[in-house]
Amino acid sequence: MSAIPIEVLAGTSLWRNAWHRLLRNRLAVLGMILVGAMVVACAAGPGIIYRATGYTYDFIPKDSGLVKSFPPSLTHPMGTDIAGRDLLARVLLGGRISLMVGIIATFVSLIIGITYGATAGYLGGKIDEAMMRAVDVLYSIPYMMIVIVLLSLFGSRSPLNQLFLLFLALGAVSWLTMSRIVRGQVISLKNQEFVLAARATGVSRRKIIFRHLMPNVLGPVIVYATLTIPNVMLQEAFLSFLGLGVQAPLASWGSLAAEGIRNIAVFPWQLIFPGVTMAVTLFSLNFLGDGLRDALDPQTRKM
Amino acid sequence: MLKFVIRRLLSTFPMVLLVVTLTWGLIRLAPGNFYTGERVIAPAIEKNLRAKYGFDKPWYVQYAKLMSNIVRGDFGTSLKYEGQSVNEILRRTLPVSMTIGLLAYILALSIGIAAGTLAAVRQNSRVDYASMTLAMLGISLPNFVLGPLLVLLFSLVMYWFPPARWDGFPSRSVVLPVITLSAIYTAYVARLTRSGMLEVLRADYIRTARAKGLDEKTIVRRHAMRGGLLPVISFSGPALAFLVTGTVVVERIFALPGMGNYFINANLNRDEPLIIGIVAFTSIAILLFNLLVDIAYAFVDPRIRY
Amino acid sequence: MRPIILVFCVLALTSCAASSADSGFFGTTDPPAGQVLRYISGSEPESIDPAIPSGQPEARVIMSMFEGLTEYDPRTMGPIPAIAESWENNADFTEFTFHLRKNARFSNGDPITASDVVYSLRRGLNPETAARNAYLAYYILYAQGYNEAGVFARDTSTGEFVMDGKFRKVFSEKEARALKGKEPVPIKAEDIGVAAIDDTTVKLSLVQSAPFMVALLPHQFFRVVPRKAIEKYGNDHWTRAENIVTSGAFMVKERVPYDKLVVVRNPMYWDAANVKLDEIRFYPLEEETTMMNLYKAGAVDATYNHTVPNAWLDFMMDKKDYMGAREMVNEYYQINTLKRPMNDPRVRKAFNLAIDKESLAKYQHVKPLTAFVPQGIFPGYPAHSEDLFDVARANDLLEEAGYKDRSKFPVNEVELTYNTSERNRQIAEFVQAQWKQNLGITIPLKNMEFKTFLTTRASLDYKGFARSGWIGDFVDPVSYLNIFYTPRGDNGTGWWDSRFVAVIDEANRTLDHQARLNKLFEAEKMLLESQAVIPLIQQSTNWLKKPYVKGMYPNSGTMHAWKFVYIEHDPSKWDYGVPEM
Repeated sequence: MSAIPIEVLAGTSLWRNAWHRLLRNRLAVLGMILVGAMVVACAAGPGIIYRATGYTYDFIPKDSGLVKSFPPSLTHPMGTDIAGRDLLARVLLGGRISLMVGIIATFVSLIIGITYGATAGYLGGKIDEAMMRAVDVLYSIPYMMIVIVLLSLFGSRSPLNQLFLLFLALGAVSWLTMSRIVRGQVISLKNQEFVLAARATGVSRRKIIFRHLMPNVLGPVIVYATLTIPNVMLQEAFLSFLGLGVQAPLASWGSLAAEGIRNIAVFPWQLIFPGVTMAVTLFSLNFLGDGLRDALDPQTRKM
Repeated sequence: MLKFVIRRLLSTFPMVLLVVTLTWGLIRLAPGNFYTGERVIAPAIEKNLRAKYGFDKPWYVQYAKLMSNIVRGDFGTSLKYEGQSVNEILRRTLPVSMTIGLLAYILALSIGIAAGTLAAVRQNSRVDYASMTLAMLGISLPNFVLGPLLVLLFSLVMYWFPPARWDGFPSRSVVLPVITLSAIYTAYVARLTRSGMLEVLRADYIRTARAKGLDEKTIVRRHAMRGGLLPVISFSGPALAFLVTGTVVVERIFALPGMGNYFINANLNRDEPLIIGIVAFTSIAILLFNLLVDIAYAFVDPRIRY
Repeated sequence: MRPIILVFCVLALTSCAASSADSGFFGTTDPPAGQVLRYISGSEPESIDPAIPSGQPEARVIMSMFEGLTEYDPRTMGPIPAIAESWENNADFTEFTFHLRKNARFSNGDPITASDVVYSLRRGLNPETAARNAYLAYYILYAQGYNEAGVFARDTSTGEFVMDGKFRKVFSEKEARALKGKEPVPIKAEDIGVAAIDDTTVKLSLVQSAPFMVALLPHQFFRVVPRKAIEKYGNDHWTRAENIVTSGAFMVKERVPYDKLVVVRNPMYWDAANVKLDEIRFYPLEEETTMMNLYKAGAVDATYNHTVPNAWLDFMMDKKDYMGAREMVNEYYQINTLKRPMNDPRVRKAFNLAIDKESLAKYQHVKPLTAFVPQGIFPGYPAHSEDLFDVARANDLLEEAGYKDRSKFPVNEVELTYNTSERNRQIAEFVQAQWKQNLGITIPLKNMEFKTFLTTRASLDYKGFARSGWIGDFVDPVSYLNIFYTPRGDNGTGWWDSRFVAVIDEANRTLDHQARLNKLFEAEKMLLESQAVIPLIQQSTNWLKKPYVKGMYPNSGTMHAWKFVYIEHDPSKWDYGVPEM
C-alpha cells in the first residue's frame, strides 16, 4: 500500500538527477550544443541564405555558364553542385530532412521496439516465442518489395504525403533489432533479485515491465538508438534510390554524400561539406547519447 | 534444452513457407511484370510470355505449384535470366557472399569486442575515447563512401589491391570489400560491447568477485564478458544472416558476383522465382542464426532457462 | 575531431592523385599481352539467345557469337555483308533475295545454309519462343499473324481464303469463328514470307514496302541460330557454355553470370583468318564509378556507352580516350494529353517553349534536340528548326489558355514523372527550374522505380509529363516515328492521328529515297505540331577506350563488329583521339 507514494517520489527525482548528471558531463553538453546549433542552422539557415544572396536549394542559374560545379568561394562557401546550385543551402536543407527522418524514425523504433521486446522477454514462454518468430518473419520479407508495394498502393494518388510514407517504411524495419536487444536484456534481468522482490510483493506485470525493467535496459537501448539514427539516415538514401525517399530537387545528407562520393575525384568539395556536416552531427548525437546513458544508468545512481 | 532446439528447428519449416507466401503476395501487388519494358509489348506476345511461364493459370494453381516445388526444394527457373535455375544461382552466388560476409563478421567481432571491452574496463581513459571515436567514424562513414575512398587510396594511388571484381578466395580482391563491409559492424559491436560491459562491471556479482580479491583480468574474462556480451549477441544473429546472404552496396561497388547483387535486380525485375528463392534462403539463415543466438544466451547467462 | 582531420587527409591525397600530371589519357595505357580485349558490357545479359533479349548490352555480346545475313558497319552502322554475300530487292522493296556465302559454318563445323536462316526466323516468330523483339519482323508476310497465333479464314464450300488485297486476311481465332460459312485455318510457320530457294539463296517477302529491311537485319533478333543444338538441348539449355554452338566470329569459352562471359576465336568462322582478337572478356557491371576505377587502373580496355558519369564530363571530354559522338537516342518528355490542363495544345506548347534547350544541352554535355528524330545521323533527312526557346511567346500562350493569373493554374494536376536515374533527375531538376523561372509555375517532380514507372506511363496513369527516350532499332528515322504508329494508339500520350499513320504508310511506299525522307519529315512535323512530346536532348555516345584498342568507333549505336577490333602494341599506330570515322 505504501509502494505508491515511494514510486512517485523516485520517478520525479530520477529525471531531475539525471539532468544534473548530464550537465556535469562536458562532452555531452558539447554534443547537446552542437546538435542544437545544427537544428537551428537547418531550420533558419535556408531562409537567411535566400534573403542574403537569393540562392535556394533548387535555384539553377539562368546563365548556362554558371550551371556547373564551382569550388568554395565567398558567394558559395561550400561551392556549388553540378547544376550550379548553392551547396550550403542544399546541405542545410538536407539537414532538415535527415534530422527529421533520423529522429522520428528512431523515436518510433524506440517506442515499438522497447514495448514489444520487453513484453516478449518478460512474459516468456510461448508468447515470447510467437512474438520473436513474428519478428523473424518481418526480417525475412524483402524490404524493397514492401517499399515498392507501399508506394504503388498509396504513392500515386492518395493524399498521404511522401514524407509520411518514408517514416512508415523506415519505422517498419528499424524497430526489429531494437526489440531483440531489449528482449535479451529483459530476459537476463527478470530473474534478478529486485524483480523477484517486486513480483513477490504483488506489483502488477505492467508496472514491473515499465517501472523496474525498463530503466535497467535503457543503457544498451540508448546506445543502440544512437546507432539507429545514422543507420536510418543511410536507409533514407537507399530509399531515394528506389524512388521512395525525398523527391528531387529536395535532398538529404545521405543523397548528397552519395552524389559527392561519385564525384570525389573531380569535385571533392561535394563530398567534404555534406560528409563533415553529417559526421559532426552524428558525433554530437553520440556524445549526447553516451551522456544520457550514463546519466540514466540506475547503477551509477546508486553511487 | 534439446527439446527446445528441436521444436525451433521444426518450426522453421512452416515459418519459411509463411515468409514465402507473404513475399509472393507482395510481388503480385507490385506494379509491373517481369516482361514490362520500355516499349509496350503487343498483347499477343504478352500472352505468349505469360503462357510460357505458367502465368496464364489461376492464381491458386500457380501458388499450389510454387509451394509443392518449394517443399521439394526446387525454386524453379529465373524469369529474367533465361534458362538459369534459381538453385543454380544460389549455389553459385552463396560462396562469394558467404566468404565476404563471414570474414567481415569475424573481423567485426574480434576487433569490436576487444575494443569495446578495453574501452569499458578503462572507462573515460584515452583508450576509451580513441576506440569509441574510431567506432563513430565507422558508423558515420557509410559504406558507399568508405568503399570508394578505400579504392581511391589503395587501388588507384597505391596499387595495392584491385579496384573491383572477384578473383576467388584467397586473393587480394577480398581485402577491400571485407574491410568496407566490416567497418560499420565493427563499430556497432564495439559500442554495444562497451555499454554492455559497463552495465555488468557494476553488477553485484562482479563486486563480489572483486571483494574476493580476484584479479581484474579474470573478472573481465570469466565473469563480466558473459553478461556484457548479451546485446552483442542479440545484434549478431540478424547481422550474420544479412552479412552472409549478400550486401547489396558492397557487392555493387566491388562488382562481386554475390547474392545481394542478384537480389536487388531480382526485385527491380520482378523475377518472382529468384526473389522467392533468395528470400526463402535468407529467412532460413535468419531463423537458424537467431536460434543460435537464443542458445548462446543460455550458455552465456545461466539464469536464462528455456 | 581527429577522424575528420583523417578524412581530410585522405581526400586531399586522393584529389591530388586525380589531378596529377597525365598523358592526356584517363589512367594507364599499357596494352595487355596478346590479342585479348576486356570490355565492360553493362548489365548482366538476360540471355545470350539472340531471339530473347531486347537490350543493347545483350545485343553487343550476341554480336560476337552470332552473325546474321548482314552486320553493322563499324563506322556508319549501315548494313554490310555477313552470312549474305550480296542481295537484291524488287522495285517496291517488298521482296529481298539474299545470296549466302558457300563457306559459312557454325562453330561445330556444320555449314550454314538457307534453311538455317529460315529456321532462325521461324523460331524467333514462334509464339512459344515468346520473343519480345518479334515485332521487328512484322514487315515480313504473315509474320505477325503467326506470332500472334492468328488464323486465315477459308470458305467451307469453295475452299478459297478470305483476301485482303493480294494477301490472305489474318483474323484472330474468335473473329474467324464468327464469320459465316468460313472455317479458321491456323497460320503455320511455313506460311511466313521467308523461303530457301536453294542452299545458298533466301527470299524474304514483305507485307508492305520496307526500304530499310536490310538495315534492320543486323539486329540480334535476325541472327542465325543452330537448329541442331536447340532441338537437342531445348530453348532453355542450348545457350549453356557446354552446349552452345555459334555462328559468329567467336564462341563461348566460359560464362559466370554477374562476373564474366569469355568468348574465344571460332576457327570454323568463314572469315576466321581476318579475325584479330583471340579472346574477348565481357564484364557485366552496373556501377559507373566502379567502371571508371577499373578502366583507370587498366583492368579493362573499353566500356559500353553512357558510362562516363555526367559530372566528370567537364574533365573527361578533353581526354584523348573519350569517345563522344552523336547517338541515335532521343530524350523527350511525353505528355498525357487527355487530362486537364495539358489537354490544351497551347499549354503544351507553352511548356515546350519555356525550356532553354541549348542551356540544358550544355549542362548535360550533349546536343539539344528540337525535333523528335535525332539529328545529324540520317543523311538527307531534313532538319527541323522552328522549335526555339521563346519565353515571351510561352507566356502569351498561357494567357490565351486562360492562365493569366498563374494561381489559377492547377499545379496539383500536373507532375513531372521520371524513373530513378542520376541523369533523369538532373534533367528533371533543370527543366523544373526553367519552368519556375520562365513561366512562374513550379511543377512537382516525381521519381519512380523503373517497372512502376513503365506501368504508370503505359497506362496513362501519370499527370502531366513523363520522361521518355528511344534507342532506334535500326538506322532509319521511321524507327522513331513508329512509336506513334500504333493501330490502337497505345503510345502513352493519348494522342493519335490517323493522318499521321497514313503519311508514314505513304512514305514507306515511296520508292525515291529523298522523297521518302521528306514524307517521313512531314509525319514528324505533325507529331511536333501536336506537342504530345517535348523533345529535350540528343544523347552522346559517351564511352572510353584505351588508345591501343583499334577498330572500335564511336558510331551512333555503339555497336562494334568485334571481328574488326584488335589490340595494337605499337604506340605509333595508336588512336590519339577519336578515330577517323
